Amino acid sequence: MRIGQRVLLASVGIYLLLFFGPLAGFDLFRVIGEIANKPSTLLQQLLIGLANGSLLALIALGYTLVYGIIELVNFAHGDVYMLGAFMSLTVIGAFNVDKGSSPAIKATAIVVAFLSAVVFTAGVNALIERVAYRRLRNAPRLAVLISAIGMSFIVQNVGLFWGSLRAFFPIMGVNSAAPKAFPDLIGRIDVFKDILHIDVPIAFNTKDLLVIVMASVLMIGLRLFVQYTKLGKAMRATAENRDAAKIMGIDVDRVISFTFLLGGALAGAAGLLVGLYNNTAVFTMGFTAGLRAFTAAVVGGIGNITGAMLGGMLIGILAAFSDQYFSSRWTNAWVFAVLVMVMVFRPTGLLGESVGQKA
Amino acid sequence: MLELKDVHTYYGNIHALKGISLTVDDGEIVTLIGSNGAGKTTTLRTIQGLIRPRHGTITLNGEDLTKVPAHEITSKGVSQSPEGRLIFPRMTVKENLEMGAFARKDKDGIKRDMERVFTVFPRLKERISQKGGTLSGGEQQMLAMGRALMANPRVLLLDEPSMGLSPILVEQIFKIISELHAQGTTILLVEQNARMALSIASRGYVLQTGEIRLQGPAARLRDDEDVRKTYLGEH
Amino acid sequence: MLKLRPALTIGLAAAFVTFLFGGWSIVVIGLLAGAMTGLNYGQRSLKRTPREIGQEAIVPGLVAAGMVVLGGVVFSYVVTPAVGKPLAYSLFLKFGKTAVRMDYFFVLMISIVAGVLLGALASWYMASIQGLPEHTRRARLIIVLVVFLLIFPFFEQITNMQWMAAVITVQIFILLALGLNIVVGYAGLLDLGYAAFFAIGAYTAGLLNSPQIDISWNFWLVIWIAAAVGSVAGLALGAPTLRLRGDYLAIVTLGFGEIVPVVFRNLITVTLREPITRICFVGCDPVKEVRNACLYACTGPLDLTAGEKGINPIGRPLIPFTPENLFGANYLPWYFLILVLILFSIFLIRRMHQSRIGRAWMAIREDELAASQMGIDPVKTKLMAFAMGATFSGFAGAFYGSYISAIFPGVFDFSVSVIVLCMVILGGLGNMVGVIIGGILIMGTDRLFLPQMATLLKGFMTATVLPNVSHPALRDFLTFSLDPIQFRLMLFGLVLVIMMIVRPEGLVPSAERRAELHAGDEAAGAPPLEAEVAAH
Repeated sequence: MRIGQRVLLASVGIYLLLFFGPLAGFDLFRVIGEIANKPSTLLQQLLIGLANGSLLALIALGYTLVYGIIELVNFAHGDVYMLGAFMSLTVIGAFNVDKGSSPAIKATAIVVAFLSAVVFTAGVNALIERVAYRRLRNAPRLAVLISAIGMSFIVQNVGLFWGSLRAFFPIMGVNSAAPKAFPDLIGRIDVFKDILHIDVPIAFNTKDLLVIVMASVLMIGLRLFVQYTKLGKAMRATAENRDAAKIMGIDVDRVISFTFLLGGALAGAAGLLVGLYNNTAVFTMGFTAGLRAFTAAVVGGIGNITGAMLGGMLIGILAAFSDQYFSSRWTNAWVFAVLVMVMVFRPTGLLGESVGQKA
Repeated sequence: MLELKDVHTYYGNIHALKGISLTVDDGEIVTLIGSNGAGKTTTLRTIQGLIRPRHGTITLNGEDLTKVPAHEITSKGVSQSPEGRLIFPRMTVKENLEMGAFARKDKDGIKRDMERVFTVFPRLKERISQKGGTLSGGEQQMLAMGRALMANPRVLLLDEPSMGLSPILVEQIFKIISELHAQGTTILLVEQNARMALSIASRGYVLQTGEIRLQGPAARLRDDEDVRKTYLGEH
Repeated sequence: MLKLRPALTIGLAAAFVTFLFGGWSIVVIGLLAGAMTGLNYGQRSLKRTPREIGQEAIVPGLVAAGMVVLGGVVFSYVVTPAVGKPLAYSLFLKFGKTAVRMDYFFVLMISIVAGVLLGALASWYMASIQGLPEHTRRARLIIVLVVFLLIFPFFEQITNMQWMAAVITVQIFILLALGLNIVVGYAGLLDLGYAAFFAIGAYTAGLLNSPQIDISWNFWLVIWIAAAVGSVAGLALGAPTLRLRGDYLAIVTLGFGEIVPVVFRNLITVTLREPITRICFVGCDPVKEVRNACLYACTGPLDLTAGEKGINPIGRPLIPFTPENLFGANYLPWYFLILVLILFSIFLIRRMHQSRIGRAWMAIREDELAASQMGIDPVKTKLMAFAMGATFSGFAGAFYGSYISAIFPGVFDFSVSVIVLCMVILGGLGNMVGVIIGGILIMGTDRLFLPQMATLLKGFMTATVLPNVSHPALRDFLTFSLDPIQFRLMLFGLVLVIMMIVRPEGLVPSAERRAELHAGDEAAGAPPLEAEVAAH
């Protein structure tokens, strides 16, 4: 497209956005007015966005790692995240902890839940690869994608079934499909006001702190792992060129399995964290979060690890912004609109990876 | 010594290699020439384990490599600078070379070999922290070969090292290949540039539509009339 | 040498149905099983004359029908007591408002005899026509099919099989699947957001024929408008995907598929203003709006789609000279209406498939670059695929809205898109017969078998299992957690995964598709270019 056409298209697009935007809550004047009126709300949303965005980033990393290495959108990944939340919930339920339990017991429960969730989801993700994707390695790409969709449905159903096991796990509540309450183990102690005794206009509590810190630790850990360890380099090499990696003596099947393990582990961690943060889990949470996280991965540049982290933050902030200033009922539409826009106009994303062995 | 006996390789229903038999003795430099689509790359990929032959055997010093998976073949002593170089574009020169030694565990040996690679390819040392994708064509070829050397192979497979390079660079690369051979590396060289290949090889095979048409000492092939007409462009 | 295995297989599969339903289903299923057996044996027969071929198929037909009968008998004497229903429960024959009670044993006897006879007859007939020249065979097949489709609903109503609701739902989804087949099967564009077009068709028809915005147009007009709006939507949503490759295209369509229902769910306070001048012209509150040039809905923000409450009631089709409530509580008119829609669609799609556009679709599906070099415009071809595909969902949506008499946004979610995709894939991409069969299998399982299994399982648990289980947790697990309907997602997922791994060309594939999809199996390890060559 020539530059003139681009400018015209962009102008028309912006006008239409301003015209129809208010239907979806995007009333530019009103939004600007609200921000100017109370800037602290904006900062607050930024913070919420950062917290939720960190979780999205963890999930997005799973998508991006897998896409980078075998060019597949692992549809089931979001649902694996959901299983992580359910596993954490089950373990915490087994410990029988709640808000009033002692910190020691709470901490133990959380640590055990974390380990169980991470190991479980890592295993599930790797199993999915082994069962549904490996055999289709040389099949047309759409065949694997369809298989991934199928796998996503299967895992969702596992979640639904798990949620119905109130007979064995009372914490699952009475209704299989309804959201489950996640015990509030991390209190809402405001870090600034209650601990540091600083008076700031925004609320930043221990939940936000936990999520941001844990997610950051995991992401940095992953980055370092992929950058400096032998296996991490093998992952990068396999993602760049599978045949060359084989020639180097890299067991590509094992590296791919490991990538799924890693992605799955991150998703499991995210599942626990989101349970602790939002105090709820439902078997469909993987689908929504998965799509948002995939959007994040695409926005950042699919296949790019830093991109996934950046994209996660951006989408998290966008969602928070939309919830506050547009209308939370429209947030999904806005996020998916971003997905569509990015894929149509800048498929390589912000950090511009050109993916693919045949690129 | 590397030996292929009656190797048949298929791509789906396409019969790409129709009974290839060849040998490469220790310390030799053998070349496999032929035009595009003759099956030269397929031969190297079969040896490397990227594709499994339907019939025939591949042995290295008596050990049967035919059913060995690709990633183990490297540790058995076969490494390759593949067609199109296939270097890792987003990894640095150093990381690329490290990848070449992936199957090895001897840290000192790896260090020594990296030094050796830098001696043979001083240009690579200059660009040690640069990303592979930013190197020029000739430098990438050097990197591919250096990477293959990092595996400390018993047999080095070179697939079309001259591809896409200017004549000066081709001369340079082939000079280096000769040097490597002189230092004792066993080499199987696949080339479209028959002239250069036959000038440094001791023996050669001519491959045509999946079969070996001609074989013998390089000098004899150079003088062969068909070879001259078809591959050396002389009339 | 008569090999009975195919007959046994068909019979066994069909017996699964009678095993769950018993009663009059033995007749219908016996007939169908016989027909399929006849088709199978007739096609493989080595005899010459239709008469001989037909005769060969009688015994297999009896075998298949016999299996079906066996299933029914097992249902009657094993399943019913196990689920706590006494065998002597009676069935009704319904003639309009009057019902005639019949003893179950009597029904069983009639059904067995009818099922076996009809099965053998169907087998003989279907086999014998295989020996006729293609043209005649086709014609006879169509006649037989039409006869069956005409008689079945009356049979079902009289015998009170209670299948009609499910059958009509199956038909709606078949219509959707035929539309998606154009996009995915013919043109090779993986559309994961097809439910969006269904929604657009339904909402268009609903809005034009309901009190929501006070428009009440004739159904017969509205259905065409819905189809037209559908095709425009197809163009609009397809346009951004034109330059994207396979999986990206799929994701974008998925994105649209998610956005559209959100839009419909939330257009409940619509106010349109010009952005720069802030002049309001739709949905303007006369008090609050500063610059008011209101053209429509001038009492306040417009509730366009009623959100979660849904649009209802939606007007019914009216046929001149017939009672106004013809399309009322009775299923039959709906059945025939959707049947006509399906037949009409099949006719249209067939014409398209055999024309230039159909060939163009095939070409870009195989190799877009080569097609464009042969003079086929990929842009127009793809847009046509989207537009045409969406047209049929427009028909389906309009029918659906009127049939249910209400539309709720929650109906059009991703699982609908996936279910329709399941049908197309199970049947065989690009093959209308396959798609219809896939549709019947998938939707039939979802709407007929799963609920029936759920009912039977519940009865089984209550009557047979629970009295023997005392542990409370186990009891709760058995009654609550094991519900077949709750496993439908897994069913669809398994269909997709298993089909992709085992038989990606579908149940009724075309030969080229099968070759194309299995070439990749041996091409592993080939350098990229050569693998491409091998895969084509």
